[in-house]
Amino acid sequence: MNVPLNIDLQQILLHLLNFSVLSLGLYLLLYKPVQDFMQKRADYYLGLKKQVEDQLKQAEELKQTYEKRLESVEAEAKQTREKALREANQAVDALLQSAQQQASRIISEAQKAAQREREKVLEEAQKEITSMVLEATEKILAQSASDTLDQFLYSVNKE
Amino acid sequence: MTKKRKAVVVWVCVILALLVGVFLTSPQGEKQESIKEVMRDAVMHDVNQISLFGVTDVNAGLISGVIVTSALLIVAALIRVFFIPKFQYIPGKFQLVLEQIVGFFADFAKKNSPHRHRFLSVYIFCAGSYIFVGTLFELLGVQAITTSGRPITLPAPLSDINGAIALGCLSYLIVVSGGIVGNGAKGIGLALKDFSMPLSMSFRLFGALLSGVLVTELLYYYFVLSFGLPVVAGVLFTLLHALVQTYVLIMLTSSSYGEVSKPHKK
Repeated sequence: MNVPLNIDLQQILLHLLNFSVLSLGLYLLLYKPVQDFMQKRADYYLGLKKQVEDQLKQAEELKQTYEKRLESVEAEAKQTREKALREANQAVDALLQSAQQQASRIISEAQKAAQREREKVLEEAQKEITSMVLEATEKILAQSASDTLDQFLYSVNKE
Repeated sequence: MTKKRKAVVVWVCVILALLVGVFLTSPQGEKQESIKEVMRDAVMHDVNQISLFGVTDVNAGLISGVIVTSALLIVAALIRVFFIPKFQYIPGKFQLVLEQIVGFFADFAKKNSPHRHRFLSVYIFCAGSYIFVGTLFELLGVQAITTSGRPITLPAPLSDINGAIALGCLSYLIVVSGGIVGNGAKGIGLALKDFSMPLSMSFRLFGALLSGVLVTELLYYYFVLSFGLPVVAGVLFTLLHALVQTYVLIMLTSSSYGEVSKPHKK
């Protein structure tokens, strides 16, 4: 049979055999090792990425935990501050009250002491005045007695 | 005259002297084949056959295929032994090139056939490498002796119709296998709908590669055309259609594979 273009089945099969050998060789020697290496590298970087993502997630969780803890600590600190303020106010009030009591007691005692002093001064003054009045009266009486006598004697004489 | 200009003048004189020498010693009258025979043989491959290890006589394209396969396997083995064990997580230039090539085919398969792409990526990597390197192989001008004792320049492996049919049919079989694995019996039906695919793939490859061979043969056959012009017409066109044919085959195979292996709802 005259096949156009000199097509030959045996040579087609030889070409196929040749290409099959080439394909097998290229696959085993070049394609697979390079693909495997690229896959290995991709896995490595995927692993790194996953590791970083895990660490980021952990950091995020840690951040949230610390934020919660910070919030509770702040609330606790606020409560403590308020309590301390309240106690301080109470202490101040108590101190103020006792100071006021002490002041009023001191004032009262001072008033009493002043009253006593006044009374004492008045008493002494009265005594002094009395004694001075007596003295003066005695003196006046002594003077006035001589003068009256003189006047009487003078008037007697004159008459 | 500056030194630079002197050097250019000397260079041009040397080229002209060489050209004169070439023309004077040209064996124009000793051509063993006419251009018609050369062209016919490039298409038919029925005259210049080469012995394959003394077993059988085959077309020159098959010998090119064996040489390309051997070269690729040797290079792959060297890379496997000397470079791949030294791969780093931060790649160097050579590692980057290798990863880019492998990654390109893997991504290409994944993009065109998202459901099933591992086997496809290996196939298009091997087919792409074979087509690309095989097409560039014709640039080397490797010589071989035919069974009739004539020296010939080995062509690209896929400029042989048998090589193109082999790769076209294999690609189709790969697509059918994707359909079977993906959708069972229904997948075979889906793949068989494109029954013209192996034919179109084979002849597209053959036609594209053959056009390169014919242009190159034509350029080198006529002595006056073989100066300067092959640099543009040979090298650049070969590079271009090496890239284009690689892309076309892997694109067609991947998109067809993706289409038939896609799970269809009942």
